[in-house]
Amino acid sequence: MKKVVIAMLVFFISMPFLMAGGSSESADDVVTVTWYASRPLGGEIDTAIREIAEDYSQEMGGKWKLEVETTADRPSYLQKLKTLIAGGNMPDIIDIDADPYCQELVDAGMLVNVKQFLEDEGLYDDYHEVALRYQEFVDGTMYTLPLEYHIEMIWYNKTIFEQYGLEAPETMDEWLEICRVLDENGITPISVDGVDRWPVLRYMAMIPFRYSGNQYIIDLRDGKASMGDDLGRKAIEFVQEIGQYFNDGFAATDYATAQSMFLDGKSAMYYIGDWEQNPMLEKYLAGEIDYFLLPMVDGAVTGPNEYCANSGIGMAFNVETFDEKTKGFIMYLIEHYGDVYASKMQMSPMKGELPADVEFTPLYHRIAEDMGNYGSAFMKPWDTYLDPATNTILQDNLLLLASGDMDAETFIQLVDQSIAENT
Amino acid sequence: MSGVIRNRKAYLVFLLPGLLFYLFAVFYPIIDSVRISFMKWGGIGPMKFIGLANYTKLFTDHVFYKSFFNNLVYLVIVVGMQLLIGLLFAVLLTYMKKHVSLVKTLYYVPCIITTVAVGQMFRSMYATEPMGLFNIILDSVGLESLARSWLADINTVLAAVSIPEGWRFTGMYMVIYYAALISLDPQVSEAAEIDGANAWQTLWKIKLPMIRPVIILSLTMCITGALRGFDVPFLLTNGGPGNESELLSTYMYKQAFSSNQFGYGSAIAVFIIVESILAVFILRMITRNREAI
Repeated sequence: MKKVVIAMLVFFISMPFLMAGGSSESADDVVTVTWYASRPLGGEIDTAIREIAEDYSQEMGGKWKLEVETTADRPSYLQKLKTLIAGGNMPDIIDIDADPYCQELVDAGMLVNVKQFLEDEGLYDDYHEVALRYQEFVDGTMYTLPLEYHIEMIWYNKTIFEQYGLEAPETMDEWLEICRVLDENGITPISVDGVDRWPVLRYMAMIPFRYSGNQYIIDLRDGKASMGDDLGRKAIEFVQEIGQYFNDGFAATDYATAQSMFLDGKSAMYYIGDWEQNPMLEKYLAGEIDYFLLPMVDGAVTGPNEYCANSGIGMAFNVETFDEKTKGFIMYLIEHYGDVYASKMQMSPMKGELPADVEFTPLYHRIAEDMGNYGSAFMKPWDTYLDPATNTILQDNLLLLASGDMDAETFIQLVDQSIAENT
Repeated sequence: MSGVIRNRKAYLVFLLPGLLFYLFAVFYPIIDSVRISFMKWGGIGPMKFIGLANYTKLFTDHVFYKSFFNNLVYLVIVVGMQLLIGLLFAVLLTYMKKHVSLVKTLYYVPCIITTVAVGQMFRSMYATEPMGLFNIILDSVGLESLARSWLADINTVLAAVSIPEGWRFTGMYMVIYYAALISLDPQVSEAAEIDGANAWQTLWKIKLPMIRPVIILSLTMCITGALRGFDVPFLLTNGGPGNESELLSTYMYKQAFSSNQFGYGSAIAVFIIVESILAVFILRMITRNREAI
């Protein structure tokens, strides 16, 4: 009797462990595709894809479904993604930039060659050229599909500018002079989201882009240039100079706070892309705010119509499950995405007429016009070039550099050393 | 049935789930961390054995040293707040006659607030835009010159990320000490009072020595907790600006999951484990020596 009772106890207590090791596949034959996404939940991309997936699911008679798991916060997303992949659990669809980590996945044969796929299916020319080129690696290969298309600009408060007799700058020197005037008059010139790091990194990239396109950052990554080179020092000086005009405590200021500071008139300027055109719309229409594009420098190799344009984080596909589960959906997605996405007042990476049944705002048309006039070079974020370790070091210490808590020499040494060690 | 309970094998059966859970959730990850710490691995593809290279790198890495010393400051602040303030509140609570449960509950509330909420709350309180609670208080008492963004200032950020963790668990240690203090035999204190001891002497010479095992236990929990401190500092500053509020655990996490250096991250993890074991060992040595005296 004792043995029976003990055996029963062992069995019941062990049940959860035995069950945990079992299969999680459901009994029915519904094909489930998982998309591990880093898009704002309920945002335009998220809703557009869910709508299209729902339609596709119905066309497939309910035998196919898309399961979306979202982590909008990018650093957390990347950390979870890396953990999933390191653990051998790569989802069917992921979001990823064409960065060195993505290259590692490509080298390991884990991602679908999207450029090849688009060309094979005759879909390559359906996209804006810059939107696709942004997704390319330096060697011209492409493993991520763009879902958005953006330009970035510097928004400014017209009321404050008029009050101090200022006009939108055309050169970097004019821009710094405006900052100086505002600062002297007790106005916070620029509000910056330092918590997310990337907005500060954009300032670092501005001067090198004007003088060399993306060549400097490519050379820096490849060890052919030093952060202490002339161009690197110019970039550092610019960050140091403009950093003193950032809002107090910008290192601890988050995205929403930086933006609300600008919209509440507590700062005069704010750097962000057109994806934030909706919050800007009301004040833009009221004539209270406007934007200017990246100012120029003497001797620039990039034009005034060339600045930071991007097609955002791309969508990549697990090579192991693509043909079997994902390919049909992606074909369907590409067919419908342009219309669905543009009808949400968003800039689509795909060419084509705007939907006739949607009334687009004057701001949308203006941004679309700027996009239409775009040149060919585009400022690509530095974090998509550098290795993960150098990115961490660069972004951590850039905040100190901009706040004046680190000198240029220390910064140069840290970045150069990291690149030497990690490339 | 009572026979089954007396059976020694039955004890093993009851221990089995906990033991299995411990082996899988604690022991296996530790052993695997030790293994990976000898490897060079970016999270994809095969690992490469590199011997002690990750450990030698530890001792030439200035950020590692900075994180280590930051961790010591963090430990002092957190342990100081949790133990001293917890003990102070517990002692004060023993003198309260009414609403003891209410006060205990109120002080315990921070322990059950989710970490993200604690982080967000302190982020708001430290901010200058909009003006946070700390700066409003300074402003209202005429110390507006001290107002600053506490998380962005390199001179204050380390203390600023330590305080929320200390604040959060002060109530928990207060409850532990309070339970220990009220469980003491009142006759001992009464005898001391009859012998002429004042309240301070009774507390210092009688009550605290009697709850010494509880103090040592909570000190152990508190120190090992602070050595592993991660969530609030990571949420508030991600170790920044620069590495000014970097702790060993945040540095370990960033090395593994931001820089993709899983081998080096594991070496830091192993260091944290060894450091925690060493801290407990030293604490036990000290307390044993005192007992011997």
